[in-house]
Amino acid sequence: MRLLLAFCLSCCIFAAHSAETAYTVRTTEVKAKPFSDADTLSSLPEKSRVEVLERKSGWMQIKTDSTKGWVKMLSLRFGDAAAQKKSGDSGLGALFNVAATGGSGSTVSTGVRGLSEENLKNPHPNPQAMKELQRYATGKKGAQNFAKSGKLAMRQIDYLPPAK
Amino acid sequence: MNRKLITIVFLCSISSSALAFDFGNIDLGKALGVLQKTQQASTDIDEPKELELGAGIASNLLGAAPLLKNQRVQKYVNNVGMWLALQTERPDLPWQFGVLDDNDVNAFAAPGGYIFVTRGLLAQMRSEAELAGVLAHEMSHILRKHYLEAIKKGARTGLIAEFAGQALENRGADPAFQKLVGAGTEVYARGLDKDDEFEADRMGVVIATRAGYDPWGLPAVLQTLQGMNAQDSSLALLFKTHPALGERLNLLDRLMTGQFDEFEKQPDHAPRFMGVMGKTGILKR
Repeated sequence: MRLLLAFCLSCCIFAAHSAETAYTVRTTEVKAKPFSDADTLSSLPEKSRVEVLERKSGWMQIKTDSTKGWVKMLSLRFGDAAAQKKSGDSGLGALFNVAATGGSGSTVSTGVRGLSEENLKNPHPNPQAMKELQRYATGKKGAQNFAKSGKLAMRQIDYLPPAK
Repeated sequence: MNRKLITIVFLCSISSSALAFDFGNIDLGKALGVLQKTQQASTDIDEPKELELGAGIASNLLGAAPLLKNQRVQKYVNNVGMWLALQTERPDLPWQFGVLDDNDVNAFAAPGGYIFVTRGLLAQMRSEAELAGVLAHEMSHILRKHYLEAIKKGARTGLIAEFAGQALENRGADPAFQKLVGAGTEVYARGLDKDDEFEADRMGVVIATRAGYDPWGLPAVLQTLQGMNAQDSSLALLFKTHPALGERLNLLDRLMTGQFDEFEKQPDHAPRFMGVMGKTGILKR
């Protein structure tokens, strides 16, 4: 049991660590600052392995053996380019959660519930939850106050046409 | 035999032209067009019916996964969602947002303004801007009536016409309604068209930006999910029902480059998001 827990823990640590590893999906300019017009420090070829240090809007601060700077977020994908191996495994994460809290999620205790294909094809309505849902709803005024408290200002921008 | 046929055709043409004359030169083609339009109109689902259908589908979804028992989280998601809704062409729908207490990583929309996000998906997020991006993506399915179209495509025309033509009463016992609600719920297991998903990505990014958020929330979530283990069972339904995350990210990359630089200073409200989610045990990181 202790071994299993240790195994899970090490997996989680490994997952957390490798989640920060990414690779470039195109030739990528490394900038001194997270802005398009900032100085370009270097250029990384496609499939360069990088370590992600920080995020800022559409930018990620990265580090390689030879360079450190900011790249466009979407020039990166997480994981390992060579093996296309994906990092992280929330299956083990969930197992660790159970071990840590001593309880399991309510989806486990209800057993037959869950967003499985079978359940969606043979559905059962839940009118009581619909009433509950309605109680949580926010009106326009409430939403505006919420936005104001977060200093969220409306901006004008049109919907985008499909990519060519 | 042939001569007989010619005679019949000839007689018919005379009689039909005579008819046309009798009815004051009605253009038959035009009349047929009007008839077709009327038939089409009878399969149009108006807003009250859209709401009703959506409520039935949402109720089914809640039958599969219950609401998370956390009023603060639920209220917070509704605040973010409603603020986003005010930036759209349908601000007056009775928008309702819910967090489903389920480990699966997914989000759903039902016609009429119902939007759900799972606890499992919330667990993968880092900020309010990311939540806003996901909610705005789902919202776009409702704005563009993607689910209604999917239901229409899958159901008999007769069934839609029956539902569309009926008065709004005693719906529980109405078999047409029940069948369409069932069909609507099944769309979650099957998924929408790829193009619907791409459109919802494009619109979601814009709606979140209009609401004052950092535009990169939605792509950040998609990027996180792409980095997860593809074999993870909590991703199975999402992967089955959506186009590949890599493809979605590539499209957003191409579309957003340069267009959103001026909005990059908008807040992502990561601290507010973390503050609400902090002690709930939702976040695994």
